[in-house]
Amino acid sequence: MSTKIEEKPETETEADEQTSPGEQRRELKRERAAEREQQIQEELSEAEETVGIKVFRFDPEVADKEEPRFDSFTVPFFRGMSVLDALVYARDTYDSSLTFRHSCRQAVCGSDALFINGRQRLACKTQVSDLEWPIRIEPLPHQDVVKDLVVDMEHFYEQMHAVEPFFDPDETPDGELEEQRQTPENREKVKLSTRCIWCGACMSSCNIAAGDNEYLGPAAINKAYRFAMDEREGEDRKQERLRIVEQEHGVWRCQTQFSCTEVCPKDIPLTEHIQELKREAVKSNLKFW
Amino acid sequence: MSQSYDRGIVESFGRWREFSAGMWAWIFHKLTGWILVGYLFTHIAVLSTAIEPGTIAAAGDGEFYTSTLQGLEELLIVRFLEVGLLAVAVFHIMNGIRLLFVDLGIGLTSQDKSFYASLVLTGAITVASIPTFLAGVL
Amino acid sequence: MAEHYSSFNRGTWRWFLQRVTAVFLIGALAFHFVMLHFVNHAASITFAGTEARMGGILYFTLMMTFLVTAAFHGINGVYNALINMGLKGTQKKVVAAILVVAGIALIVQGTRVAIAMSPMF
Repeated sequence: MSTKIEEKPETETEADEQTSPGEQRRELKRERAAEREQQIQEELSEAEETVGIKVFRFDPEVADKEEPRFDSFTVPFFRGMSVLDALVYARDTYDSSLTFRHSCRQAVCGSDALFINGRQRLACKTQVSDLEWPIRIEPLPHQDVVKDLVVDMEHFYEQMHAVEPFFDPDETPDGELEEQRQTPENREKVKLSTRCIWCGACMSSCNIAAGDNEYLGPAAINKAYRFAMDEREGEDRKQERLRIVEQEHGVWRCQTQFSCTEVCPKDIPLTEHIQELKREAVKSNLKFW
Repeated sequence: MSQSYDRGIVESFGRWREFSAGMWAWIFHKLTGWILVGYLFTHIAVLSTAIEPGTIAAAGDGEFYTSTLQGLEELLIVRFLEVGLLAVAVFHIMNGIRLLFVDLGIGLTSQDKSFYASLVLTGAITVASIPTFLAGVL
Repeated sequence: MAEHYSSFNRGTWRWFLQRVTAVFLIGALAFHFVMLHFVNHAASITFAGTEARMGGILYFTLMMTFLVTAAFHGINGVYNALINMGLKGTQKKVVAAILVVAGIALIVQGTRVAIAMSPMF
């Protein structure tokens, strides 16, 4: 079950009457381990319910884990438990080498998007009670696995940066400290698109992004939408932004499968935004006068 | 050190049981599209052999055309293939209408329902057409 | 930069034309099926009947437009599907050339067939 290297029990040589400090330490350690073992057993038997999780394991640098496999862990269930809670328990209790990204635990940092029971979800936002047990936890598909549940996000970030994801107005106000005001309507229009937390769930769910590596992907196009639709930036900048997304591997690759929209943990209507950019691009191309 | 390896069904169509409506719509639309474009080429090819450009102009009665087409229509398998082609075409049309609405940004939240509707309509139209398509051979 | 961006973008036009042809094809394909399976039974098609239909200038024009739009829609669809699968570089150029040639051949041969069927020529 665990890949932790087990301490080999020492064969005690009774040559010395006094035990060495090293052995005393080892003795203490054994005691603590036994204590912990007992504590786990108590926790498991005290818990009204336990949930089984099957976690994907892979590490190219450890001989034992070079071949991808699944490890099963039993975790005491409590009300309100998230998948991330279960993973943290498994790591702290059974195998400290179990690797996964997490940080804020409240669906803001976007670091724990995982493939949970066959779907891209944020581990911290997914309730264990909402899932079928045992829960199967895998790293995001269509991305290279670095170790266990950790995937390489480099390509995703490259695509995000390709759309120039920063506010860049044509003109700034005259007054030095003057605000750049946005109408409430325009704020409403871009509101949902600003929610993106760069978790990569959408990109992983997209069948086209998997086939065409150059495709910008839903998250990056949504980012482009967020700024292209922001009226404070001005018409020239909007046209430049459209030029980025209307490349062959931009918006046109979207096949409206709605996979991204369905998995987005922040409920951003990604497909809708991509479609609107397609129409904007057509409009700007048809305006040849 | 990221490492690539075969993740098997995680990354392929092996997970088809978990596909949602939008994904199925895309798969069917693509499949029917391939069939229709394949048929388009076949259709022109069959008609080309049937008209015999050299003789038509001279004889002008088109006897060969008539006998080729009616000969094909006498085969039961051809009739069944035609029903299949109808189903394929109707689905591609129905889902195509759905996709046009999606492109216009209309009804995106009920895209799954409109997919099911196009499936039901395709089934209904196909079943209703079977008597007409099989008349004469059965 | 002050000038309005209006350069021809191939991806945009391919997408747009795919939709425009789709709208036409919905009607044309349905009409074609109804015409040759319901109004005229497929099994009772004769060359005389075909010739009579293709003799009408409207019907002939419709069939020719049907041929051209269907060829574009189908071939462009295949090309899109291949790009979605990650076709790129030289391979993509070769495939594009093959598809264009196939499309042109289809339209040329289709036109020859149409002309042979029509008493107008």
